[in-house]
Amino acid sequence: MGKNDTVTERQLTVLIFVSLLSPMIRILPSSSVALAGRAAWLSPLAALPAGAALAAFTRFARKNAPEGVGLQDMAQLSLGPVGGRLFGVLFALWLTFYGGFVARSAAERLLATVYPNGSVTVFIVVMFLVALITASGKTKTLSRTAEVLMPVLILVIAVVLLSAIPDVTAEFLLPVTYRDAGKVLYGAAPIFNVLSAFVYFLFLTGHVRRPRGERPRRVNWLALLVATAFGVTFFTLGTLGDKLSVTMENAFFMVIRNLRVLGIVERVEAVVVAVWVVTDFIFLAAILMIVSEIWRTVTGVRRRGAFVPPSAALSCAAAFLITKNAFTLQAWSDFIVPCVNLFAAVILVPAVMGIGKLRRKY
Amino acid sequence: MKKTVLAAAALSLALSLGGCSSGLTILSNYRRIENIELVRTVAADKEADGVNVAVCGTAGEESSARMYENTGKSLGAALGELALLPLGRDAVLSHTENMLIGEELARERLGECLDYIERFSEMRLDTGILIVRDGTARDLLHGLTGEDTPAPDVIAGLSRNIARVGDGYFFTCREIASSLADNGCALVQCVRAQKEEKLFEARGDLNIAPAGFAVVREGGGLDFLSDEETLGAMLLLRKYKSRIVDLPLPEGALTVSVDSAAASIRPRFERDGALDRVEIRLELEANVISVSGEADLEDRTVREAAEAELSRLFRRAAESAVARSQALGLDYLDLESIIHRREPLKAAPALKNWADTFPGLPVEVEAESTLQRTYDIVDPPEDAKEGEDPWEKMIRLLRGS
Repeated sequence: MGKNDTVTERQLTVLIFVSLLSPMIRILPSSSVALAGRAAWLSPLAALPAGAALAAFTRFARKNAPEGVGLQDMAQLSLGPVGGRLFGVLFALWLTFYGGFVARSAAERLLATVYPNGSVTVFIVVMFLVALITASGKTKTLSRTAEVLMPVLILVIAVVLLSAIPDVTAEFLLPVTYRDAGKVLYGAAPIFNVLSAFVYFLFLTGHVRRPRGERPRRVNWLALLVATAFGVTFFTLGTLGDKLSVTMENAFFMVIRNLRVLGIVERVEAVVVAVWVVTDFIFLAAILMIVSEIWRTVTGVRRRGAFVPPSAALSCAAAFLITKNAFTLQAWSDFIVPCVNLFAAVILVPAVMGIGKLRRKY
Repeated sequence: MKKTVLAAAALSLALSLGGCSSGLTILSNYRRIENIELVRTVAADKEADGVNVAVCGTAGEESSARMYENTGKSLGAALGELALLPLGRDAVLSHTENMLIGEELARERLGECLDYIERFSEMRLDTGILIVRDGTARDLLHGLTGEDTPAPDVIAGLSRNIARVGDGYFFTCREIASSLADNGCALVQCVRAQKEEKLFEARGDLNIAPAGFAVVREGGGLDFLSDEETLGAMLLLRKYKSRIVDLPLPEGALTVSVDSAAASIRPRFERDGALDRVEIRLELEANVISVSGEADLEDRTVREAAEAELSRLFRRAAESAVARSQALGLDYLDLESIIHRREPLKAAPALKNWADTFPGLPVEVEAESTLQRTYDIVDPPEDAKEGEDPWEKMIRLLRGS
């Protein structure tokens, strides 16, 4: 990798936060409410310890790893050249498919919420072209883009959630008793699943440069994401109730359809959806970047740029071939993608990192 | 050079966002503002083989209302095909404030109407839903519209004031859908057309009047509540704002504005934990807005008599609302949820068989009223005595006799 394609710890954490907003809004609040009912607004808080534990473990595992070493390098050190490369190929294939799934989900959401007669094809193609251009560039550029967009995203989320306060009904949120503890934990599972996707970004840690003698500056992406998930679930549930919320795929955007910001501006959903499209685009570009980074390390080629177009093409094909309609896409979103993600992010990566640590490879 | 090419490629992609052509564009519903007809009210009625819709809206800077009609197999088809009519404009439903639904259509296909609003991204969940009794929604919309009185303005006026005079509440699609999902039933405001003398030529032929609540069930069905039951439901659902009430007294009468009515609902349990009864307590606060006859408000017994009468009226309203809900076996007053909220642990076993428990559950209602103020006039001017000349009365009052 090029010496000048480096990012700071803070930039990488901002990239993680902005990217994970995309899958977060895909599953929330429906997945969580379906499991936890009216207590679902507590589920994001319940997901926090598990997310923090996974983050702490990965930080511990790569604590002594030398600078410039990413997850793929660590896997090759841990499992040996063959096992490590196999690990990389599996991840690259999974993330290529996952990129297609992300793009298709974003396209379907855009059509369901704002452009009912729009074209999925046009949206996906444009999305991949933009992501291709961005992913071909430097990691620093994408991270900087996320850094610039983060305040805008936080502002939009804050304004939207504050504007939703008058519609919140306490009856939809209470009571919650200790008997709901089990449900709250169930409801935390899909949120933890999304949070765990941060491990994919460990493939980019080879680009992180730590200033000598200084403590790395990080953005607490985990706290920000959990706060966003809490806000989205709390306000959606409080506005629609649990039984109505689970009947909708995009319940949060349903709530936004009703919003009047400060009582003067209405029909702001197009702006909010557009903001979320930005997170989809950042996430997709990051996935393509990660995939190309894996291929670069696996093949030993110096520059990763050559791997971006074929990865984007394959991912784009997956977006079209994954399903013919939104019905089966929901099935992918509800079951297959979370299961594979959970296996990859919560079992496979920590296992590989743990093996490397036990073998004192880093 | 490479950067320039990439930047140009990225910018060229932005062209697809413009929506200015019918070709490669993401924006499929781009409309020029001068071509837009903003629909504010939709009226839907059952037709022999489908649904008739009439929409009323305003275009551009014109203040006069314009109306269009269409018929389709479903509400979605009828509204969707409006674009095929020779409107000269694009009917846009994004600012629809209210949907009037004819009684027959509401009885059979209210769920379809709610579903359409939820599903169609152009419409808002906060669209008010009204059921039109004793006539069609289309006729009401036509009748309301006059040269100076667009139907949406008349309906918006009713929407603003209906709760203030205690005659009802405009439930929104969100509230109805949520109640249907939670309780399997919901309340909807009803209205009816009223033929009135036209006090000025530029108004419509009809007026709109509240006609109590209707109870809708998941899967279809419609029942209507009386005015008293409607008031009781408003009290228990905390949709009550204010109501003007005439209170007959032994000497004269009072007109009061009941500006506060707090309902407290508490479950009571037996020693073995079984749900024994529900107690409802109403606390009313009223202000005297006019006095007629010899009613002396400085006399405590007069005030107490007025308070007792007021309590009786509101208690009866709450009792009748609960009794009707139990008779129908439909918990549209949300008692299950309230009991659960009050005693989440204790009530859990009793609420397991709520459908069986609810119809026979004893409910006790008590009400307490307080006359708060008379707006500075304690001893009102006396009315003219029978046969007295108004001038003589004025002179008598001025002389203080």
